[in-house]
Amino acid sequence: MTPPGRFGGCGEPSPHKRPFRFLLTLPTTGPDATPAPLPEFVTDIRQGRYGPFDTIGEVGRAAEVTGFDGVVAPFAPDAEESLVVVAGLLRHNRWIHGVAGFHPGVGTPVYAAKLSASLQRFTEDRFGWWPVVDLPPATARAHGDFLEGPDRYARADEFLSIAKGVWEHEDYTYEGRFFQVLAGGFQGPLAGRRFPAVHLSGVSADALDLSAKHADVHVFDVTDDLDALIADLGERAAGHGRSVASGLRLSVAAREDEAEAHAVRNVPEHALTGSFEQVAAELRGYADRGVSTFVLEPPPRVEEIYRLGEQLLPLFVREHAHVD
Amino acid sequence: MSIDIYWRIGTHGDQPSLRRRLVTRGDWSPVVPGSITPGLREGRPDGYSHLDHMADVARSTELSGFVGGLLPSFPFTDDPWAAAASLARETTGYRFMIAFQPGFLHPVQAARMSASLQRATGGRVVYNIISGGGGPAQLWWGDKVGHDDRYARTSEFLDVLKAVWYGGPVTHHGRFYQVDGAGLPERLAGQPFPEVYFSGSSRAAIEAAGRHADYYLSWLEPFPALAAKFDQVREHSAAIGRSPRFAVRIDVLARETEDEAWAEIRRGWRHVDPERLRGPESTGDSVGWLRSSRFIDWPVRTPRELEASPNVWGGFHLLRGGPAFGLVGSYAQVAARLDELIALGVDAFILAGVPHLEEARRIGENVLPLLRGRWPDTAPDTPVPSPETLESPEALESPGTLEAKGSTR
Repeated sequence: MTPPGRFGGCGEPSPHKRPFRFLLTLPTTGPDATPAPLPEFVTDIRQGRYGPFDTIGEVGRAAEVTGFDGVVAPFAPDAEESLVVVAGLLRHNRWIHGVAGFHPGVGTPVYAAKLSASLQRFTEDRFGWWPVVDLPPATARAHGDFLEGPDRYARADEFLSIAKGVWEHEDYTYEGRFFQVLAGGFQGPLAGRRFPAVHLSGVSADALDLSAKHADVHVFDVTDDLDALIADLGERAAGHGRSVASGLRLSVAAREDEAEAHAVRNVPEHALTGSFEQVAAELRGYADRGVSTFVLEPPPRVEEIYRLGEQLLPLFVREHAHVD
Repeated sequence: MSIDIYWRIGTHGDQPSLRRRLVTRGDWSPVVPGSITPGLREGRPDGYSHLDHMADVARSTELSGFVGGLLPSFPFTDDPWAAAASLARETTGYRFMIAFQPGFLHPVQAARMSASLQRATGGRVVYNIISGGGGPAQLWWGDKVGHDDRYARTSEFLDVLKAVWYGGPVTHHGRFYQVDGAGLPERLAGQPFPEVYFSGSSRAAIEAAGRHADYYLSWLEPFPALAAKFDQVREHSAAIGRSPRFAVRIDVLARETEDEAWAEIRRGWRHVDPERLRGPESTGDSVGWLRSSRFIDWPVRTPRELEASPNVWGGFHLLRGGPAFGLVGSYAQVAARLDELIALGVDAFILAGVPHLEEARRIGENVLPLLRGRWPDTAPDTPVPSPETLESPEALESPGTLEAKGSTR
């Protein structure tokens, strides 16, 4: 597979790099959070100066300085638009990758590729895609997408094929059911960048087939039948002469000791809970089953990012790790 | 009503002057000693990208007194949405005028991107809606829709986009777009809708502009032709109860004296391929490009033969990529011509010069302060081909002969 980026990617790990990628989900969904107001007699310099992009920027910055590999701006009907979010974040950080969720009806694959080629140029190839194919029908229609069933996967296949086609070829023609391009293809400095790392998800045969053909990383959930699905995906990918990395979406409640972790409030169901060492051991267990990308949900607060960055991530630096 | 003066941010590198077509800024040419963004340090690329140069141009332009920058979009350029989203938080008051073709994005997606970018910038997004120049470039983008239908699509796109923006849920089953229950989430709702600069010289464009343009945007043409074009737009708009403002995209080459300005042109002229002096060639269906080629009596031999009226020069395309017409003259002359355009009803300018960074400084310091605004005794004075002869059906339908020039650039 294509490693997702120059830095901290999931290609051949160097001795000082983690063998895994840790991605954080950005706080881009739902209504804007309003900060707790200060009493009137306390000087408050924030009035009107800061907005949601400052909060997102703060999280991105924390991910950057604490050593995470990247951030994800998910696609959701109530979310900030992910391309705008990720472009701004990557501009202000040097190392993290940014993965933008979108549905494949957003526009033409040529335009998506063109916009992405610029972002790869601007960010030294740190931009990634997460096309979301399997939307609830009402959500899909509200975004202009009236396809249902297997057609959605056929369109996503075309979308990715054309986007990669114009990316990799100087003279590219494709007349498909949903999209077309005639004598297209990037030239000059727009050509030759790394195609955005493609993240996909879903457990249906259609979803696995799409990933087998196009994904760099297929992201599962902790409730999925991981071993069977990873094996299935591997076979399908081998049929295309490819391999696809497996990712896992999960939540983590890690503290210095187990009791402290169990006292954490608002922990989502199925969260990995325990001391940093216990959580690290569970993550290694997933790694042994073939998972190499961990997508942490829900969006953590800055203090949580610092805690994980300083205390959990170091347990995975290869020279300290137990995985070899 | 004040006049908005924009500059252009090159999205495909830049030349250090008009004297030679040598791109040293950005990586459209090999990176060699003397290259900028990326440059070389100890023989290796220094890690800067063309975006860093765009950021410098944006900052210099902002400091020079311009309200914002036009980010053009062509197959060979960097992308304006990507650039604007990346630079959103690096300037403070500066507006990003994003050139885009409605055919390439779904209107709901465009609404989401725009609303998020409005939030990221504090409402500094401006649209340059372009509908494409046809020909091979249009197919390169994956778009087979014909000239007039592209304007119909643009019109439907903006209808859906505005409906989604101003409240939902929107259900629409049109010729080009379908949505069912579309709207912006609470988080994205309530932002100011971006001002629309609408480009296009054909009848189809002018009709669509009547409905949607806040500013009808034209390339520079000799002033009487421009005035006649504006009258057409006014007429179409008035018929549906609208009155757009007018904007002109103009390259400027201004120096302390007129002689210095023309000397600069002559230095560039020495490197122009003589073949190109026979006349323009095009492969698209752009009516704006066709019009501009007709104001000159081709072939030409010397630069001043391209001066269609005083200071209005139709040879910029020979010295750099982009449209033909711009202003050449002393600071005072260029300011006077801009004042004449203001008197014709122009409310906004998109100016440009090569190199973009230094020329923004020059024009900001030496030309803009001379503007007098709507002074009373201005009259365009030079005869040019009448606009009627340009709007014949033959003129509008000549696919396959025009170069692909989709938009202002």
